[in-house]
Amino acid sequence: MGYLFDPDNWEWLVTANNLEFLLEGFLVNLQIALIALICSLIFGLALALGRLSRNKPLAFLVGLWVDVWRNLPVLLVILYVYLALPASWRETYEDAAPAFLPEVMQTGRVFAALLALVLYNSAVLAEIMRAGILSLDRGQGEAAAALGLSYWQRMRIVILPQGLRRMLPATVSQLITLNKDTTLVYIIAIEEVARRGRILTGFNFFGGVQAPLLQVFIIIGLMFILTNLALSRLSRRLEIRERERTGTMVEPVTGLEDQVVATLPAR
Amino acid sequence: MSSWIELLTDNAGALASGFWVTLRLVGGSFVVAAVVGTLVAALRIAPSKWLQRLGGVYVETFRNIPLLVLLFIAYFGLRRAGVPINTWIAGIASLGLYTAAYVAEVLRSGVFAVSRGQIDAALSLGFDQRETLRRIVLPQAFRTVISPLGSITIAMIKNSVIVGGAVAINDLLKESRIIASRTFETEAAFFWAAVGYLLLTVAATIALRRLEQRHAIRR
Repeated sequence: MGYLFDPDNWEWLVTANNLEFLLEGFLVNLQIALIALICSLIFGLALALGRLSRNKPLAFLVGLWVDVWRNLPVLLVILYVYLALPASWRETYEDAAPAFLPEVMQTGRVFAALLALVLYNSAVLAEIMRAGILSLDRGQGEAAAALGLSYWQRMRIVILPQGLRRMLPATVSQLITLNKDTTLVYIIAIEEVARRGRILTGFNFFGGVQAPLLQVFIIIGLMFILTNLALSRLSRRLEIRERERTGTMVEPVTGLEDQVVATLPAR
Repeated sequence: MSSWIELLTDNAGALASGFWVTLRLVGGSFVVAAVVGTLVAALRIAPSKWLQRLGGVYVETFRNIPLLVLLFIAYFGLRRAGVPINTWIAGIASLGLYTAAYVAEVLRSGVFAVSRGQIDAALSLGFDQRETLRRIVLPQAFRTVISPLGSITIAMIKNSVIVGGAVAINDLLKESRIIASRTFETEAAFFWAAVGYLLLTVAATIALRRLEQRHAIRR
């Protein structure tokens, strides 16, 4: 306990620019999470529609794809994509990466990390979206069809606006998981916050003071706890607003630690 | 393809030992998660405001911190602070305590999902508080929490990989990485690791579906 509360150990964090170094790393995590989320949403919607498609072979193949990626550990996917990605792809990314991104984000490693996170999260989000769409009353689709709308019109005007709104809280909680998962890219040597923590604490003597490992990681943990708490607040507020807007108790589609728990209506 | 099968037969021992380590890791963490999760859930439905708040702090802390950071705190951090903790204890404690937060949330919502009328009816039939909880509330709560608890278990199997990635425990992924770096057959080595994890998660999914068909209430 003495170690934990020793003021010298805490002071170490604010000497030089240790804390700043960590915060910069944390910014990389947030950027990776945000970019991966946007790509996963787009790709996930395509997967969800594919799985719901009336073309049976397509639906089966997409279903298989989704189930395989969803059930693999993220760390395995990250390592695999990193090791298996052709070097030319990484170089293409390095050339094409927009210059406004920080330097870390322009490396080919980040491309591998993003690709892996998108592969995994798009599969999870596809299931959340599918659950959202399926939770709609059948009558919605049937009424739209009776009005003479085509498949795409039905999706665009009737089904998706309602189904996707229901899955908004679940998407935000998936973002929390994704945010936590971004620390895993430390394994392919991307300089994000966990890696920077290891770098800092790797120097055994830093100005004569042994780096306070415990404190460094507690601070990193706090960064995540604060951002994720804010996100879950947001998720709850969205849920309440939705309930007030529609005036009904919709059963929200919830994503819990990656797994879709929504009870799909019996068909 | 034949070289892939060869890689499996050549390294069957290492892969099997990794698989076994993963299983033990998941099993140990499951016990920790179940015990701690139940205790925290009990705190969260306790009559005292302060106990509830304490449970809430536990859940929010362990649910929002990345497992990797938790492992770094539990293993490297505590060692630096002078606590002699070994890799297995750090790994099982981190994965177990992390999962316990989710377990507690599910158990709590399961208890709240039992409708008030059930409790009133039981009390008016002359059951006392304890009996109501044991005979009426908990059996029904158990049936609603089966499917979310199953998803948590599956997520825990996947999260066990992170333990091997952070501390020196040779689980399935670690073993296959060792094979990959020795033979340069990255694709094959990772393929078999993926097959191993899919076996575990798919088996868990099937077991869960069986259990659901027998017990679960769909709401």
